[in-house]
Amino acid sequence: MKVPVIMPQLGEAIAEANIVAFLVNPGDSVAADQNLIEVETNKATMSVTAPCTGTIEKFTAQLNESYVVGAVLGHIEATKEEIERRGLDASSPAKISDTDRVAKPDANGRTRVQPTVRGLPVPANAAGASYLSPRLKARMAELGLSAADLAGVAGSGAAGRVTIEDFEKFITTLEKHKMSGASSMRVAVADAMRRSWTRPLATVGLPVRLDAVLAHRKTSNPKPGPALYALRALAIALSENSAPAGRLVGTKIVHPGSIDVGFAVEAEDGVLVPVIRHADQKVLRDLTERYNELVELARERKLPADATGGSIATVTNFGTFGLTWATPIPLPEQTLVLGMGAGRHVPHWDEKQNQFVPVIEAYLTLSFDHRVLDGGAAGRLLQRIGQLMSQPEKL
Amino acid sequence: MSLTYLEAIREAQARALRDDPRVFIYGQDVGGFGGAFKATKNLAVEFPGRVLDSPISEDAMVGMAVGAAIEGMRPIVEMQFADFSLVGFNQIVNQAGTLFWRTNISCPITVRLPFGGTSGGGPFHSQCIEAIYAHYPGLIVLTPATVEDAYSMLLEAVALDDPVIFCEHKFLYYHLKAEKLPDEALPIGKARIAREGRDLTIVTYSAMVHEALEAAKELSGEGWEIEVVDLRSVKPLDTDTVMASVARTGKLLCVGEAWPWGGVTAEIISRVTAEGFGLLDAPPQRLNAKDTPVPYHPNLWAAHRPTARSVAAAARNLLRQ
Repeated sequence: MKVPVIMPQLGEAIAEANIVAFLVNPGDSVAADQNLIEVETNKATMSVTAPCTGTIEKFTAQLNESYVVGAVLGHIEATKEEIERRGLDASSPAKISDTDRVAKPDANGRTRVQPTVRGLPVPANAAGASYLSPRLKARMAELGLSAADLAGVAGSGAAGRVTIEDFEKFITTLEKHKMSGASSMRVAVADAMRRSWTRPLATVGLPVRLDAVLAHRKTSNPKPGPALYALRALAIALSENSAPAGRLVGTKIVHPGSIDVGFAVEAEDGVLVPVIRHADQKVLRDLTERYNELVELARERKLPADATGGSIATVTNFGTFGLTWATPIPLPEQTLVLGMGAGRHVPHWDEKQNQFVPVIEAYLTLSFDHRVLDGGAAGRLLQRIGQLMSQPEKL
Repeated sequence: MSLTYLEAIREAQARALRDDPRVFIYGQDVGGFGGAFKATKNLAVEFPGRVLDSPISEDAMVGMAVGAAIEGMRPIVEMQFADFSLVGFNQIVNQAGTLFWRTNISCPITVRLPFGGTSGGGPFHSQCIEAIYAHYPGLIVLTPATVEDAYSMLLEAVALDDPVIFCEHKFLYYHLKAEKLPDEALPIGKARIAREGRDLTIVTYSAMVHEALEAAKELSGEGWEIEVVDLRSVKPLDTDTVMASVARTGKLLCVGEAWPWGGVTAEIISRVTAEGFGLLDAPPQRLNAKDTPVPYHPNLWAAHRPTARSVAAAARNLLRQ
């Protein structure tokens, strides 16, 4: 078995040394640590010693040549005893069983499982698209973007996070498209919807008969809009029990101070929500004029300050678009939005007449923050509203 | 003509002695013997009476130099090993570091510290102690990584009116060679972009610059372009260059051969997160020697200090974030 003679580290910062003399010849028997070669550095003359007991096979190094630390200078044929003593025979490596590695008894003889994973895992909520690096946040703030704008970007970072590089590529691809500025109204609606969407929202629906409301409307002057019936019914229902309109903040339910209810009016490139204050304290007839006035002001985008904000719920009549069903999103500061679909003629089984009769029916929908309300409470509130709307003369 | 990092230090001292009669060299065996590493070889002959052997007392060496500086001289003190400078620590930080602030008399001394690990150096001949000197106000701490910087920065160190801790890396003494001495140099306190890149910034200094460059070479084969910033001086610290580089790459890895606790790498990360949080696209990382005394055994030593391989591994981890 051949063992190499290697240029040792001869001192601080020494990178190489010069061969000055060979102290033994090939074929000579040498003992471990015996001086073999004299070398010179710029600091001193030193010796290279034998790494083991054996016979010098040959020197590959040349006299008066310089060799770097670690260079092979020659070989020694090690004796049999030396090979055994030093475990130099590579044909029988020491065995390490799997059980040694997995479970080693500690000092007290207890078996302990060796950890295979180092460090803590990335928290689940910090991974993926939900993690934005400080740089990405800063860059998005610079461009006025929000996390929702990144929904279409496939991230290449750890756990699929969007890196700054992914982001810049995304911005570059956008620049190839035609772009126009969104109106401030659009931007405001987008912001409100994004904030609202941070909550778990759900929607329930209930078909109600509108015949009574429509009949009542025909005989009224001025005529209340269909949504006003729903608004008034909602206000009454909430005055009986305001808890469903409460907001959850931390561990507290914040109850509404007064029953101020908003209603959605489509204006150019967005939606405005005028508010009727104390809607539970005025009857339908007394609200009609104010309601119509607010609709007009909203369309002209001239709503007075006292008629916006601070409402506890909103009514939206998506039926005006011919829609029968929708899942509106409540405003971020509200728990509820009551929707009203388009009325349609449907067959209704009349028990007394023992036949189908045509009636006008519309869906009422209630979208709500599921943290505050469950389906049961939302359903009961919707049933109560339907009940109130079946007797419009009492609204 | 080719000359080593060590020869550049000798040449710089020769030139300082030649150019300025106020300069003298003081240290153990610097005279006839030419210094423990031969950094003052033949200088005693060339400049008689100006390259003086000191007693074996670092305390006395620095104390005498401070006194000479007060009297208008510009002494260069050679420590045999940076590790031994701790015996003169009091004189350096309490006397030299504060002199100007106490008396309005400047203290233009240069203390040369052969520092850093070499194979088999062990706990008392390998330490990187730049951070503890950088901790003290009043001191300038230089860490040249190239033959050119070793030459020009040592000349500038002698010319500066403040006390300078000149950290010259022993591993670079013979391992680095240059064709000629430089005619010009970056000013003290200005970092150098040793390699340009766009994917990740490695900030480092002294011998680790070469490990980082080696790692960058390896990673370029994998498609990554690594920017390597050579600080050159750890105090003053060129935060602007570091920040500008992180602004380009978004990712920061600091590499130091010193121990991690409260060191230069920690200071850089602190500054970048405090002043440039919005530049970071991943948590800044650092790679240092293990937090244990430096081991003797070459294999243990190789595992103890950062190497091109461990720098590349750390960089890969960060690039995958």
